[in-house]
Amino acid sequence: MTMSPFDHEPDPELGRMLREALTGPEPEAFLRRLRTAAAAAERGDQWDVLAGWARPRAMAVAVAAGFLLWLGTWFANAPAQSDPGVTMASLPAHTVVSSQPPPVDEIMAALRERP
Amino acid sequence: MEDAELARAASGGDPDAFGTLIDRHGLAARRAARAILRDDDDADDAVQEGMLAAWRAIDRYDPARPFRPWLMRIVVNAALDSRRRGRVRHAEPIAETLESGGLGPDRMAEAALLREKIEGGLAQLPERQRIALVLFDSEGWGHADIAAALNVPEGTVRSYVFHARRAMRKTLGTLAEGMK
Repeated sequence: MTMSPFDHEPDPELGRMLREALTGPEPEAFLRRLRTAAAAAERGDQWDVLAGWARPRAMAVAVAAGFLLWLGTWFANAPAQSDPGVTMASLPAHTVVSSQPPPVDEIMAALRERP
Repeated sequence: MEDAELARAASGGDPDAFGTLIDRHGLAARRAARAILRDDDDADDAVQEGMLAAWRAIDRYDPARPFRPWLMRIVVNAALDSRRRGRVRHAEPIAETLESGGLGPDRMAEAALLREKIEGGLAQLPERQRIALVLFDSEGWGHADIAAALNVPEGTVRSYVFHARRAMRKTLGTLAEGMK
């Protein structure tokens, strides 16, 4: 056994002893178990690998899409600022600033002018 | 058939090709796992976990590179993960594995004594030194591959091997000479 600590090549004899000590009992049965397990395990195809890899990203995209959808719906249902909903009657200015109530005729005339 | 060809066939969905790769490298993987975990059942579980991970990821293996380091890195990482997650059941002496090979009673007794010394010597090594020694001297890994697997500089691996060999030499030296 050479086994000099300064050697930069594997020591064949030490390697042999280690292999004998570490190989473990019933090596053939062990290999058979591994082969059986591999045969029973479904191999992940590329889509599985991609799915696993992309799961967090898919979640992020789903959250973002949901937010955008909600935002779009909210804008679609929100009353537009350019549409006041209630059209102000176009009363003459003097009827608004006057301390007296406007004459009924002018109010009726303004209502009649509305489209 | 070369490993890379078998890996390519396995990647194409041939389980027998992967079975052949298991036959070729399964025991080396087991030795590495046992050096890390020092328990038969834990080591075998880690090897199986690593092998199945390799089987599922075989598409990602680059046939231009050697297959064995790729596979062993997966198995070593599975064993190290098992150690980190604290899934190790308990540390036991490494089981008897030296085959008598038709030796007489005296030689069998010597072999048993040598095995005991090896187990004792390995058990006394710090974990990383033990892993580095086994991967280097038993499995023929290069310093760079061990450094990558253990996530330490290459010089540190050389130091691990140096100290581990020195300790093992003290334990085994005279006894191993007697085995020749």
